[in-house]
Amino acid sequence: MANENENIKIVENATCTFCGCVCDDMELHVDLNEKRITKAKNACVLGRAWFAEHTIEDAPAAMIDGEEVSVDEAIEEAAQTLVNAKFPITYGLSDTTCEAQRQAVAISDYIKGNIDTTTSVCHGPSGLAFQGVGESTSTLGEVKNRADLVIYWGGNPAESHPRHFGRYAVTPKGMFTPNGKKDRTVVLVDVRKTKSAPVADIFIKPIPGKDFEVLWALRALVKGSKLSSNIEEETGVPLETLSDLAERMKNCRFGVLFFGMGLTMTRGRHFNSGALLALATDLNEYTHFVAKPVRGHGNVTGADNVVSWQTGYPFGVNFSRGYPRFNPGEFTTVDTLSNGDADAALIIASDPGSNFPKKAIEHLKNIPVITLDTKNTDTTKLSHVAFRTATYGINTTGTVYRMDDVPITLRSAFDSPFPDDETILTSIKKRVHELVLAKHYAGGASGEAKVAAINPL
Amino acid sequence: MALNLKLHTQPEVPLEADCICPDKLQSLENNEISSLILFHGNRQVQLGDFFDCNGTFDGEIVIDGDLSNVKHIGATMSFGKITVEGNVGLHAGAAMRGGEITIEGSSSGWLGPEMIGGRITVKGDAGHMTGSGYRGSEIGMQGGEIIVHGNVKNETGHAMRRGLIVVGGNSGDFTGVNMHAGTIIILGQMGMRTGAGMKRGSIISFNQAALLPTFSRNCEYHPSFIKFYFKYLEEIGFKIDPSHLNSTFERWSGDSIELNRGEILLSMSKK
Repeated sequence: MANENENIKIVENATCTFCGCVCDDMELHVDLNEKRITKAKNACVLGRAWFAEHTIEDAPAAMIDGEEVSVDEAIEEAAQTLVNAKFPITYGLSDTTCEAQRQAVAISDYIKGNIDTTTSVCHGPSGLAFQGVGESTSTLGEVKNRADLVIYWGGNPAESHPRHFGRYAVTPKGMFTPNGKKDRTVVLVDVRKTKSAPVADIFIKPIPGKDFEVLWALRALVKGSKLSSNIEEETGVPLETLSDLAERMKNCRFGVLFFGMGLTMTRGRHFNSGALLALATDLNEYTHFVAKPVRGHGNVTGADNVVSWQTGYPFGVNFSRGYPRFNPGEFTTVDTLSNGDADAALIIASDPGSNFPKKAIEHLKNIPVITLDTKNTDTTKLSHVAFRTATYGINTTGTVYRMDDVPITLRSAFDSPFPDDETILTSIKKRVHELVLAKHYAGGASGEAKVAAINPL
Repeated sequence: MALNLKLHTQPEVPLEADCICPDKLQSLENNEISSLILFHGNRQVQLGDFFDCNGTFDGEIVIDGDLSNVKHIGATMSFGKITVEGNVGLHAGAAMRGGEITIEGSSSGWLGPEMIGGRITVKGDAGHMTGSGYRGSEIGMQGGEIIVHGNVKNETGHAMRRGLIVVGGNSGDFTGVNMHAGTIIILGQMGMRTGAGMKRGSIISFNQAALLPTFSRNCEYHPSFIKFYFKYLEEIGFKIDPSHLNSTFERWSGDSIELNRGEILLSMSKK
């Protein structure tokens, strides 16, 4: 519900899309004259910064090679570039709505390209582990109402997801945890003592890079298997500590393992995630235990969902043979760029130009790049075609998925002069479809009649 | 006389050439072979657009050129011989059922994934996932031999069920991970977490290795069957240090999280 009072508008129950918590209890105070959010009640420090920094900048809506052009001209150039490429890649998608993500998958399908999301550089290993091991899962609501043992592994939510403790997992009072934190035991496993450590009742500090060995030892203890005696020397964690944790895990009513990139992006990657998921599965012999990745970007979970329900796979999908193929390591974006495979790139709401390996960035500089972003970034600077778009959750409505796969509808705070990602991508898709059909029926006219005859994706 | 394919144009983007396979070339004339369809990125092209085709197919194909960007060579082949006179790209010998592939240079990742029979020999190095299963598959290599004279990277023999993998150099992490059965011999050093989740099978190394806490040391002994392997390795071109011939081996069993029926044999000659 929005109340208007002269130039101040209040948007209640708005959603913050900065991180995967996707808190939907924001009260935004919007200065409609200046087109900016002046106050974000209930937001954490990261959310306040997110709402404060997204103002309307004076910038062209579309550019080709740094020169301002109309949006229509830019759409035509983008469509031509993608259709003419032999190995076009699409990347990003974690900071936009599910509706826009859906259009991006359709474009990749039409151009027989490659589609990948930022999942491949964060929880991609967890995606592989889900496929290999399976996932015992729950919503954050179940965690809030039922969990009496909460374990954080390889993450620092106090700084990366500040409201995770207070809203979902540690202090909130739930149906079967009426006393909040007093009814829960909180365990933190990390290689260093972070700002999350004071929240934990038990802090376990393995030797860096030994998470897999610790998880494997816990699995052995839970299963009653043999364990070598030098476990402390090898992992930095005494056998008594591991035995105590294993007993707590087996004897809790509802346990949850939250895991972060400290686990997924260290040596062993998908095997680390797989070991943790297998541990959760093992524990279901004794009690109810679930495992959830703590996701970073606001709608990276939505990207996994949308790409999965449209292609069958969550990321690293290739359409070059006309059907989806999944092979992380071959079709993930860092690989397609570092190996020099890609010959055009569509980058949506992401900045690989600033955070990818040097070799990948060098290749990105040598191919035509099309970007959609709300800000000027290192990637937009090297773009052939750059679109300036509206910010999701601030200027646009739409759907995003919280880290526990719960879809949440966004509310717009104020209008933007820039089109949103979905609008741009839908236009590119339509033009791409026309060009593909025209090429397919060589000698045909514009293809519009055929477009009308064949339902677009 | 062998069929000679010479790469005359380097592909701009990856070339998927699963038609370069004896099963698909037999009974074809050279002009028909040149017309076979390859995938150059998302475009369908003809084999002749990238390869000169000479000689006559008599069961053997010799490919000349740097095929680092050419994938799926010899995939699903069941007979005959392919010789690559240079490097080869991803998925060489994928799901191979028989015959022989010899790579004079090095191979990229996914060498012989899910192969069932035949032999692949690589004179140089190989990448990740040698003789493994594809993502989502519970079973990797099910038969045949993969012989790599150089080094291999991670997940060699992932979920392998049968067959032999020999590596003359070092292997990366997770050698023989989730192994069901079969034999892996590493003449050099192995990386971390060898045999994690293995159910049965044998991993043999000429060097010591740090094993997971779920492996237990059984004994030191002189396994008689090792000498037969050594003899076979010498026959296929490996030079075995004589000190290993009568070496004592440490036997470790694991992974106790699984069946605990796997064995890792580590030579004590360099301890």
